[in-house]
Amino acid sequence: MIDTDVECAPGQLVESTGGDADNTHYDVLVVGSGIGGMESSIKLADMGYKVLLVEKEASVGGRMILLSKVFPTLDCASCISGPKMSSTINHPNITTMTLSEVAGIERDGDGFIATVDQKPKFVDWAACTGCDVCQKVCTVAVPDQFNADLAARRAAYIAFPQAVPKKAVLERAGTSPCIGACPAGIKAHGYVSLVRAGKDEEAFQLVLDATPLVGTLGRACYAPCEADCTRAKLEGPIPIRLLKRYAADQHYATVGSPDGPVVRVSPPNGKKIAVVGSGPAGLTAAWQLARRGYAVTILEKRDKPGGYLRYAIPSYRLPNEVVDADIANLTSLGVEIVCNTAVDDPAGLTGQGYDAVIVATGTQKATLMDVPGEDADGSMVGLDLLAQVAGGNAPDFTGRRVVVVGGGNVAMDVARVSRRLGAAEVKVAYRRTKDEMPAHQVEAADAAAEGVAFEFLVAPAGVVAQDGHVVGLRVQTMQLGEPDASGRRSPQPVPGAQHVIDADLVISAVGLAVDPAPFAGLADNRGRISVDPKTLQTSIPHLFAAGDVTVGATDITQAVGSGRRAAHMVHRWLKGQSLDGFTALDDRLETISSDAVLARQKAFGHRLPIRGEVTLASQPSDFTEVEAPLTPQDAKAGAGSCLDCGVCSECQECFNNCPAWAIRMDQKGETKKFSVGAVVVATGHKLFAADLKPEYGFGQFPNVITGMQMDRLLAPTRPFNAVLRPGDAKMPERIAYVSCTGSRDKTVGNPLCSKFCCMYSLKQNQLIMGALPLADVTMHYIDIRAAGKRYEEFYTQGKDMGAQYIKGRVAEITQQDNGDLTLRYEDIDNGGAIAESSYDLVVLAVGIRPNRDVEKLFKDVTLSQDEYFYVAEPSAELSPGATTIPGVFVAGTAAGAKDIVDTILHAGAAVAQVAAHLHHHFTQEVTA
Amino acid sequence: MTEVKPTGRRIGVYICHCGGNISDYVDVEAVRDALKDEPDVVISDDPMFACSDGTQHDMIDNIQQDHLDGLVVASCSPKLHQVTFRNVAKRAGMNPFAYTQVNIREQDSWAHTHDRAGATAKAIGLIRAGVAKTRLSDPLEPLIVQTQSRTLVVGGGVTGLRTAIGLADVGIEALLIEREADFGGWVAKLGATFPNDASGAEEIADLLAQCRARRDITMYTGAELTGKSGSFGNYAAEITLHRADGDKTLTVDVGSIIVATGFDSYMPTDGEYEYGTEGVMTLPDFKALVDSSQGSLTYQGRPVRSVAYIYCVGSRQESGGNEYCSKYCCNAAIHTSTLVDRLHPAVRQFHLYRDIRAYARNELSYNASREGGSTYIKFPDETPPVVEQAANGGLQVNVTDLLTQGMELTIPVDMVVLVTGMVPRDNTALTELLKLPLGSDGFYNEIHPKLRPVETVVDGVMIAGCCQSPRTVGESVSAGLSAVAQSAALLRKGFAELDPLVARVDADKCLHDGACLTACPYNAITTIDWESKQIASVDPAVCKGCGGCVPYCPNGAIDLLGYTDAQMTAAIDELIASEEVMA
Repeated sequence: MIDTDVECAPGQLVESTGGDADNTHYDVLVVGSGIGGMESSIKLADMGYKVLLVEKEASVGGRMILLSKVFPTLDCASCISGPKMSSTINHPNITTMTLSEVAGIERDGDGFIATVDQKPKFVDWAACTGCDVCQKVCTVAVPDQFNADLAARRAAYIAFPQAVPKKAVLERAGTSPCIGACPAGIKAHGYVSLVRAGKDEEAFQLVLDATPLVGTLGRACYAPCEADCTRAKLEGPIPIRLLKRYAADQHYATVGSPDGPVVRVSPPNGKKIAVVGSGPAGLTAAWQLARRGYAVTILEKRDKPGGYLRYAIPSYRLPNEVVDADIANLTSLGVEIVCNTAVDDPAGLTGQGYDAVIVATGTQKATLMDVPGEDADGSMVGLDLLAQVAGGNAPDFTGRRVVVVGGGNVAMDVARVSRRLGAAEVKVAYRRTKDEMPAHQVEAADAAAEGVAFEFLVAPAGVVAQDGHVVGLRVQTMQLGEPDASGRRSPQPVPGAQHVIDADLVISAVGLAVDPAPFAGLADNRGRISVDPKTLQTSIPHLFAAGDVTVGATDITQAVGSGRRAAHMVHRWLKGQSLDGFTALDDRLETISSDAVLARQKAFGHRLPIRGEVTLASQPSDFTEVEAPLTPQDAKAGAGSCLDCGVCSECQECFNNCPAWAIRMDQKGETKKFSVGAVVVATGHKLFAADLKPEYGFGQFPNVITGMQMDRLLAPTRPFNAVLRPGDAKMPERIAYVSCTGSRDKTVGNPLCSKFCCMYSLKQNQLIMGALPLADVTMHYIDIRAAGKRYEEFYTQGKDMGAQYIKGRVAEITQQDNGDLTLRYEDIDNGGAIAESSYDLVVLAVGIRPNRDVEKLFKDVTLSQDEYFYVAEPSAELSPGATTIPGVFVAGTAAGAKDIVDTILHAGAAVAQVAAHLHHHFTQEVTA
Repeated sequence: MTEVKPTGRRIGVYICHCGGNISDYVDVEAVRDALKDEPDVVISDDPMFACSDGTQHDMIDNIQQDHLDGLVVASCSPKLHQVTFRNVAKRAGMNPFAYTQVNIREQDSWAHTHDRAGATAKAIGLIRAGVAKTRLSDPLEPLIVQTQSRTLVVGGGVTGLRTAIGLADVGIEALLIEREADFGGWVAKLGATFPNDASGAEEIADLLAQCRARRDITMYTGAELTGKSGSFGNYAAEITLHRADGDKTLTVDVGSIIVATGFDSYMPTDGEYEYGTEGVMTLPDFKALVDSSQGSLTYQGRPVRSVAYIYCVGSRQESGGNEYCSKYCCNAAIHTSTLVDRLHPAVRQFHLYRDIRAYARNELSYNASREGGSTYIKFPDETPPVVEQAANGGLQVNVTDLLTQGMELTIPVDMVVLVTGMVPRDNTALTELLKLPLGSDGFYNEIHPKLRPVETVVDGVMIAGCCQSPRTVGESVSAGLSAVAQSAALLRKGFAELDPLVARVDADKCLHDGACLTACPYNAITTIDWESKQIASVDPAVCKGCGGCVPYCPNGAIDLLGYTDAQMTAAIDELIASEEVMA
C-alpha cells in the first residue's frame, strides 16, 4: 500500500509498510526511548519512515537525561538529551506511547504484529498542563527512581523536571488492603495519608464523601481495615479507626466557626426521594442523594433519628452527641427527617410526590429465646433495654443479678449497660465457647474488664420464676459437635445435664430479624426484602432497599456500603442510566497483597504501634465514653507508620486541586495491536545492584552511594542543590571511588567489563573538584579504561586537576561512628601493601547488567541472547545491530556495554539496516 | 551613540541558565531584567533549559499569543542549537531566519568563570547586539535544491566496503574509490581477528564479492579524489585514476561524500625499545608472523619459545607525542597471545602493560589469555621497560613489576613485540580539498560526538572509521553505517533545503567592478547580462555565505542575507555602547 501523503514523481521509489490512515500501521517499532531508541527513531523518521516508539516510563529520555554532564566534552546531559527528547516527541513521523509496554511481537510475513499495553496514567493527558499542582498536594511520598532513590517523589508525579511530555501520572500499585477491606468503600489509606500530611479537615471530608457518619465510624466500627493493614504483620496495625475519629473530632470542634469547612453539593435537581428508616444505611443513602441535588426526606418510626446507632449502641461506646453531629451533616444540607412516622406502604410513597423510595428499616425484631417462662417479670429483651436507656428511661439494676443470654455484640452491650445500671452480678450465658462468640473480641474483653462473667456451653431451657418474678434461668449444658453452616461447631445438648443460674433478671440478646410487615409482598422466605444484590432494586422499579433489611443483621460499615450503593443506583435509575458503575466497591483496582508490599520495601523503620487509650472500671457507674481520642502527636505518629501499600492513597487531593480537572481515577489501561515492518530493540540496561557486594556496605552505610547517585548529586536538577553526603548532609571533603563494583567480578557472576564506569568516574572526579574545590578525590581502580576518542586526554586532565588514582582492589568498607568510612585496599603502586584510608563519602562505580525484560518481547520467534543475557549480534563486526531475527535490530546497551557515543553510532548502524530491510521487503514503484 | 528607536518589531528574548553552566557565572536574572526595557523586546525570560521541550512549547505559545516576529535565545554555541530554535520558530509559524542565537556560554560564562559582574555585563551587551541584528532581520525562505541519490565513499578498507553495501542496501548508489591497488586495507592482511576469530582476509573477500555483485556499486582502485565542486546534495567529484598508461580523470555527481580513509600503524623510531634489532617487531608484523605460522611459531627458522609484549608503544605518550590511547591495541595483542597459545601452548608470553583496556566483552579474551598462561606485568608509567641484548646474544627485557611489590625483573625472551597504536594517515591533499577539520590528535573531527557524530562542518561530507579516531572493526563499521543512515536522511527526499544565508547582488548598485569575482573562493559569482548592462550574480546553491565578497565591492552592492551590513552595524553599535557603559 502506498502512503498517499507523500508526493512522488512517477518511477520514484517509495517505501511503506502500510498506510497510517487508521494509525495501526507503522514502518518501524522502536522499543525503548533512551538515547539509543531516540536516536534510532529520529533518524528513521528523518528518512521518512513512520515510527512507533514505545516507552515504559512516563517520559522519554531514558537514563541520559538524568546525568549531570557527559564525558569527554563535559556537555551538560540535558543540553544534548533534552533537544533529542523534544525532537522525538514533536517529529511528525514519530508516534510516541509512554507508560506503555510491548506485550508481545509476532511475525507476520516480512513484518510483525506488535501488541502494546498502554498502562493507565490516571490522568487525562489531553487536559494535563504539567503544572505540577498534583504533586505538590499529593500526600504520599515514595523513593524517586529518577533521583536514584536519594530523594522522594510523590505518588502523583511528573517524572522529572525535564520530562517529555511534561505530564503527570499517578502511581497506583493496586487498592490498598485497608481500602479493599472496607465494606463501605471508605478510602482508609486516603484519610490516613491526609492526617499524616496535617490535612485533618481533608481527611474528614474524604470520609464524608462516603458517609455522614464519620464520628460514628470513628468509634463504633470494628475496623476490618486494621485487620488487613500490612503494618499488622510487623509491629501492629495503623490506628485507622481512631484516625478517623481524630479527623471527625477536629472537624466537629470547628464547625460553625467563620472559617469552618464547607461541603460541596450539586444544585437542586427537582427530584424527591423518600428514605424509610434513619439507621446507618438510610442516613448514608440520604446523604449521598442530597449531595447530588435531590430533595430527600427520611421517614423514621421512632422519635429520634439514628436507628441502632442511637437506640442500641450504648453511649459509652458512641455518645449521642456524636450521632447528632453526624446527622447534622445531612440536616444542614436540607435533608428533612420526619420522626414518629411509621411507613406501612413504602412503594405507595410515590403518591406523595416522591420519585423513588429507599427502604432501610434494618433488623428491628429481636429473636426470642423461645423457652418457657419468657414472659415472667424480670425477663426482658436486650434491645428493649438498650432503647430504654437511650431514651432516657434507664431502669435501676442496683444490687440485681443479671443473666444475659447470647454471645453477640448486643449481648456484650446489654451486659455492660447492666453493670452501669448498678447490677451486682452480670453473667453472659452462651451456648458455645468463647472462640465461637460472634461478639467482637474487644467487646468481650472490655465486658470482662468491667466485671462481666461468662458461662459457656449453656443454652437457655426456661426462665425460672416464683410468683411471676424471675429467680433464675434454667440452662441446658451443651457440647460442641460438627461444624454447622457458619463453620462454627454446633452445640449439642448433653443429655440430662441442666442447672439453674440464679438471677433476678434474664435478658435475651440472641438475635435480630427483619420485620417484613411493611413490604410483605416483597419479602423472601426469611422475611427480608428481595432485591438484586448489585442494584438493590426491588421488583417495583422505583423501590430500592439498603442495609440489613436486605441481608439480615451485619454491621455499620456494611450498612453504610449498602446505603451508598442504593443512592448510586437510584441516581442512575432516575437519570435513565444502566444500574452499574459503582466503582467504590465494584470496580476497584485489585487489592495489593501485604506480601508484595513487604517485598518491595527497601528498608523499614521500626514503629511503636499507636493504640487507643481505653479506661475500664471493674464497676462502671456512668455512660461516659471509655475510649480517649488520639493526641495530635499520636495521630501523626500513627498515620506516619503507614506503608502506602497501594502507593496512591486515593486521598483525592490531586482530584480536588487539579486546575485542569485532568485526574481520572477510573482510567483503564488499553491494549492495542500494530503492524510494523521492522523492530528496533533499544531496551537499554540495568545498573548493578550494589547491595550484592555486601562487603562494600551499600544500603547499610548511608555514605556509600552509587555512581548514578553521585551523578544526580551533581546534576543541575540535583535533589539537594549541593553535593552532600546522604548520612548527615555534611559536605564531603575526602571522596573515594571504587571502580569495577559488580564488573570484572566472577563472585557476582559478571566477568565482563562495563566500559563506561571508568569514564563516568573520571568525569565525576572532575565535576566534584569543580563543585567542591577543597575536596580530595581518590579513585581505587584495577585498570583505567579510558579507551575512546579524547578519553585518555580526559584522564590526563583529571590527574592534572589533582585527582588521585590508586591501583588495587578495595577489599572492604567499614563505617566509623561518625559516619566516615574506612577503605581497606591493596596499594599496588606503593609496594602492594594492604592499606586503610578514611573517607567522608564513597562512590561505588557500579556497572551494567542486562535488562532481561527483552526476553518477554517476542512470542513466536526467538531473539537469541549471548551467554550473559544481552541481545546476541551474530555478526557484531560487519553488521552491528543485526539480531538473529530478520527485521529485528538492536540499538545500544541492550546488546552489551556501551557509552553514549558508542550507543549513538550503534543506533546509526541499526537504522541503516532497518532501512535496508524495509527497502528490500517493502519497496514499491510509484506508477502515476 | 544614538538612542535606538522602536521599530515596531516584537521580539522575544530568552536567557538560558543552562542548568548552572551559565547561571553559575552570569547573573541571569539581572540580564533578563536589563533586556526587559530594550526597545521592541516584548518578552524577556530566563528558563532553566531553553532547549527543553517544556520551554520550547512556552516559546511557541509566546510567539503565537504575543505575535512575536523576532526571537533571540542567549544560550550556547549556535553549533549546538541554532537548528533547534529555528525549528521552534518554524513550528510557531514565525520565519526561522528571524531567530538569532547569542552565545553566552562558550563565549561568556565559561570564559569568565571568575568575573561574575563582567560576565553579566558582557552577556547584556552580546544579547543587545543580537536584538539589534534581529530587529533588522528580513524573512528568508530556504533554498530548495535537487539532490543526487549517489554517495562517494573514499577508502576501500573494511569500513568503506561495508558502507558501500549499506548505501546500496537503502537504494543509494555507491561510488567507492581506493587509493591503493587493492581493496581491503589493514583487515585484508589479517588472519583470525578479535573478538570472534573471524578471518579478516575472508571477511574482506566476502564484502568484496558482495560489492562486485551489485550493479549499484561502482568501484575503482588506484583512484583518488582530486577535485570537488558544487554544494551539498550536488557535488561534482573529480576522481583521478592512476593507470599504467597515465592518469585519467572522471567527474561524477554525488549527493554526499563519506570519508573512510583509515589509519597508519605507528612506526617506532629507530632504537625505541631496540626496534630494528632482530627479534623486536611491531604487533602488525608479529600478527602476520602468527597468521602465517603453521603447527608452531617460528621466526627465521628458529622456534619462538618466549615473547614479551610491550604495550602502549606510540600511544599515551607524554605531552607533545601521541597523547591519545589507540583503543584497539590492548585487545589485538591479547587476542594475538591467545592465538599463539593455541598454536603452541609452551610459548611463554609476558605482557608488559600500563592499563589493560580490554573493555566490555573483551575482558573475556583477557581472561582467556591469562588462563592460557600469559603473564601480565604492570610497569609504572614513568619507568617503561628496557629492551637490551642479553649476554648470550638473545633479547632481555628489564621491567619493574608493580604486581609483585615492585620487583625488578629481567626477562630473557626470544621476541619482543611492540604493541603499536594507530596514527593519523597522511592525507594532506584530501584534507585540504575537502576542508576537513583535524583534531589536536591529528584525526578528523566530527561536529559533535553525540549530536552529529559522523558529520563534519562541511555539509554532506561525513567521516567514518579510524580516520576519525582509533577504533575496532565493529566500531568502524557502525560509524560507516551511521553515515549511510545520515546520507539516506539527507538524500532520499530527492531535494534538500539549504540555508538562504548567501550573498546577494543589488543589481541597481552593481557597476560590474569585478572585485567580487576574484574574491569568491567557491566560484559562486559569475557575470550576467541584466537590463543592457553586465552585473555580478551569485549562484545561491554554490555560495557558502562566507561573506568574503562583501567588503570587496567598492559600491556596497553586495550584502549577505541574514547578516546584512545594516544588521552587523547595528549589532556592533550595541556592543560599543555596552563597552562604554562598562567603562
